[in-house]
Amino acid sequence: MNSNEAIVVCRCEEVTYGQLRTTAEEHQCTAREIKLRTRAGMGFCGGRTCRIPLDRIIEDVLPNVSQGDIPLKYQPPIRPVSFGTVGEKND
Amino acid sequence: MTRIMDHPILGKLNDRKAIPFTFDGKTYEALENETVAAALLANGIRTLRIHEESGTPRGVYCNIGHCMECRVTVNDQANVRACLTVVEQHMVIESGKQHPTIVKRMVEQQ
Repeated sequence: MNSNEAIVVCRCEEVTYGQLRTTAEEHQCTAREIKLRTRAGMGFCGGRTCRIPLDRIIEDVLPNVSQGDIPLKYQPPIRPVSFGTVGEKND
Repeated sequence: MTRIMDHPILGKLNDRKAIPFTFDGKTYEALENETVAAALLANGIRTLRIHEESGTPRGVYCNIGHCMECRVTVNDQANVRACLTVVEQHMVIESGKQHPTIVKRMVEQQ
């Protein structure tokens, strides 16, 4: 299992599988909490790549845990937008 | 130039106009309506940016606009996806740079 420690699960924030496993086992946390603790899923791609693996890791570490009150889901804006497009005054 | 000039299915590639554009100060040639990622790849450049925190080199990954790994600064517009933007005449493109992480360093020193 130790050869998998260095697998990067979250490409945008460079969070490795090892970090996620230790954090999950140490804090026994839900997917949302591990996102808050390790920033995995908070990257530029909006969690597209690592949202599913994060859930799988949590199911693997804590088989009985429920989905948790707030599941990991896409948050608006679903594409990165600049402040200009959102709030620019062009009247 | 690493383009496939004579593709068995797509056919020949020699009737397209060359368009100059600059990437990090150097000028390169791209073919007409070719994406920035393809043009840079044809010129042998795979590192479009480096990771903002750790500096690891990053380049094109999904090439369809989802993974955002190929974001570059085009004509002073930051975070433009190179794999979706078509090269235009005299485009100025800069690669992503590493950002300072002052607060994180302070927290670690405490």
